[in-house]
Amino acid sequence: MTGRRWLRGLRARLLVAFLTVTVLGAAAAAWASARSASTALVDGEQRRISETIVGQVRTVTPQLAYPPDRPALDRLRTVVGEDTVVGYRGLRSADGAETRLVTPALRSAVRARGRTVTQRITAADGRPWLLVGMPIVRTAPNGARTPSGIELYAVRSLGGVEVQIDDLSRSAARTVALTLPLAALLALVAARSVLRPVRELRDTARRLADGDLDARTSPGGADEVAQLTVTINEMADAIQTSMTEMQRMQADAERFVADVSHELRTPLSTLTAVTSVLAIAADGADPDAREAVELAIAETDRLVRLVEDLIEVSRFDAGTAVRREEPVDVVAAVRDCLGARGWADQVDLVAPDAPVVRLDRRRLDVIVANLVGNALRHGGPPVRVEVTATPQELQIAVTDGGPGLPADVAERVFDRFYKADAARARTPGSGLGLSIARENARLHRGELTAGNAAGGGARFVLRLPRDQGSEAAPCTPPTSSPAPEDR
Amino acid sequence: MRRVGLVVLCLLLAGCGVQPSAPQDAGDAPTGVARGITLYFVDSRGALRPDVRPTGRLGTISEALALLLTGPGDSSLHTEIAASTTQVGTVTTARAIQLRVPLSIREVTPKGIDQIVCTALGVHVQGGGSRRTRIQLLFTTAPASASAMLRTCPLTD
Amino acid sequence: MAAILLVEDDPLVRRGLQLALSRHGHDVRTSDSGEQGLEQFRASTPDLVVLDLMLPGIDGFEVCRRIRDAGDVPVIIITAKGDDFDVVGGLEAGADDYVVKPAQPSVLDARIRAVLRRSGGDTGDLLVHRDLRIDAAALSVSLRGEPVTLTPTEMRLLLTLARSPGQVFSRQQLLEEVWEHDYLGDSRLVDNCVQRLRAKIETSPATPEYVETVRGFGYRFARR
Repeated sequence: MTGRRWLRGLRARLLVAFLTVTVLGAAAAAWASARSASTALVDGEQRRISETIVGQVRTVTPQLAYPPDRPALDRLRTVVGEDTVVGYRGLRSADGAETRLVTPALRSAVRARGRTVTQRITAADGRPWLLVGMPIVRTAPNGARTPSGIELYAVRSLGGVEVQIDDLSRSAARTVALTLPLAALLALVAARSVLRPVRELRDTARRLADGDLDARTSPGGADEVAQLTVTINEMADAIQTSMTEMQRMQADAERFVADVSHELRTPLSTLTAVTSVLAIAADGADPDAREAVELAIAETDRLVRLVEDLIEVSRFDAGTAVRREEPVDVVAAVRDCLGARGWADQVDLVAPDAPVVRLDRRRLDVIVANLVGNALRHGGPPVRVEVTATPQELQIAVTDGGPGLPADVAERVFDRFYKADAARARTPGSGLGLSIARENARLHRGELTAGNAAGGGARFVLRLPRDQGSEAAPCTPPTSSPAPEDR
Repeated sequence: MRRVGLVVLCLLLAGCGVQPSAPQDAGDAPTGVARGITLYFVDSRGALRPDVRPTGRLGTISEALALLLTGPGDSSLHTEIAASTTQVGTVTTARAIQLRVPLSIREVTPKGIDQIVCTALGVHVQGGGSRRTRIQLLFTTAPASASAMLRTCPLTD
Repeated sequence: MAAILLVEDDPLVRRGLQLALSRHGHDVRTSDSGEQGLEQFRASTPDLVVLDLMLPGIDGFEVCRRIRDAGDVPVIIITAKGDDFDVVGGLEAGADDYVVKPAQPSVLDARIRAVLRRSGGDTGDLLVHRDLRIDAAALSVSLRGEPVTLTPTEMRLLLTLARSPGQVFSRQQLLEEVWEHDYLGDSRLVDNCVQRLRAKIETSPATPEYVETVRGFGYRFARR
């Protein structure tokens, strides 16, 4: 499996292709040259053998009695050597075991052509032999040739040539084998030179993907990879430009929200101040006027909360939110949070552990208040808060008895001003509560997730690491004078 | 990859070695057997005539010329060579066969020279030699031009 | 019925707060700038100053410092919510407490009353700890016979700690005890007040002999 994946790599494919071409080329060349060399060797040996025999015969024929008798045939055979058979009509003189190898095809060729004929055969044991057959002709003084009736067949071993050819083949194979490592080396070098720019591009692309928009690769050469590099650089430029533009627009929008929120504070201060006067004054008024005053007070409170939440959100957006840590008895803090809002008897607090964790007490309160408030408003009783702790992590889970969250809602429930349905549009929350709760969790390097409990209700889980790290603001007042914690 | 290499190597080895073949031509058959020696004499009308002596074998040029110099014997043919001995030396070069005959130029007529040349060439051709081979006669006494002359047989030429 | 000086530059906010605080039974005078506020402070000597930090001219921090230099009249500052720079700066300038904008008159009134209660008399006992002599009835402190001027908040903090020497008080406890804050009180109020107190009664504030820090928990008055 891994081998197959490795083979899909560019380097491996280049290597294999390079090696295949090299080996095929070398093998073809070696094979061709070895073959022509062996053909030349065999032909040369064949010619040498047949010419030798013809020469030997010619030294004897002028002194040979004609028509020959048995001793004459023997003499001729003896001159040619072993493994030879000589025949004249009924007479036959043979010597050597290998003469039985002479083929009928050779005999008929000798008779039909009236010339010297050779034939290579392979014996049953695999050894190669050369068969030489010839008639001996009579020549008239004017050159006319007629068969004399004498035929001579000789069998000669080609074993020597075969040994030579085998040597040749082996050395050719060795040469091919020697090209393998050389080709592999060349292929590696080539692959390297091709892959280095590709790898640089990959690194650049990864840095771009990781958000380093300044990452570029300097294009070298004029090949396809260089063109790709130029294109990627252009793409990075375009992304950088639009990202800068987007960041500027987002910063503008965030600054606008922050400015508007701050500007709203002043009239809200007046409104907050005077509505309390109105509330006291309206005690004696008629019911309509009193209701109007109560509405004005309630809406002013809502407006105040909304502006406060907006300011908090813009602080998170601007990255200026800091956490002020102190050791907090988490269970007591949750109990206080519930108690201060009059929720103590609507909520079950389950706390098997009593962890004391360094965190921002105020921000923890915001998170718990938002989660419980959300559960009471949108879920249903019973609302349950579980506080559990491990040495590494603090976990607070808020579960309600409602119908639970549909999957699409669970994903978006932390979005700003997200309302799951129209019925919730007029609930008392600002629409920013869960978003702020999640930002607060993240400020503590923790996470807040929404899901459903096994029983069916919605379940929000806050997880905070207990070691908050060194970036935490000190719990002692940040003053220029010496800190009180000095003993 | 490895399999391809193996296949290539197998092909390589199989393509070499000594392969069997069909019967192939390997040149002229040897020659040189003959029922006897062909000598050339002159008939009554003055023309060259072959005269076969049934010796049962072809023999050499020297043997043939020795027989020729011995004379036609009992026959209607006659020789125009007046030889006292029959010893002939032969030297074969690339272009010609040199015959050292025991004769002076005056002891032989032009027909007699043809007798010697045709007999020698006949043996040469019957023994497998080329018909274009020329004969050079070296007489005991002769002008340089006669000894340098390359001759051929008027019958077979 | 307390005489309160409200320094706030926005006329509508100023008028609104004046109306609301008057409804809560206070005698409220107002100023629209730091300079005028200081002038009125010297002229009328109020029981307490409510001070907006964002002022044109002399800003709220400077006004607070000058009031603190002039005596022990308590100061409550109005800050933007969660604006740590304002809170810390105001507390360092000597403010006794703070409320956030937009200020709820009921919350502001509760803070005012809590601060003023600290100025009131106590059960009359006399506490002597080494060179430190605390007269709870007269709300006066002397160190080696020399009188030390403490603000009512500093006085109340010292008394709370000194009545139970050796007992450790958490910041939260002190916030509830001295400042009468709810459970989410700002512990920086305590830390700042401890520092100011040490500056007044300790020979060497860096190595205090009376108000000790219990690291990670709170403070205690040293046992003899």
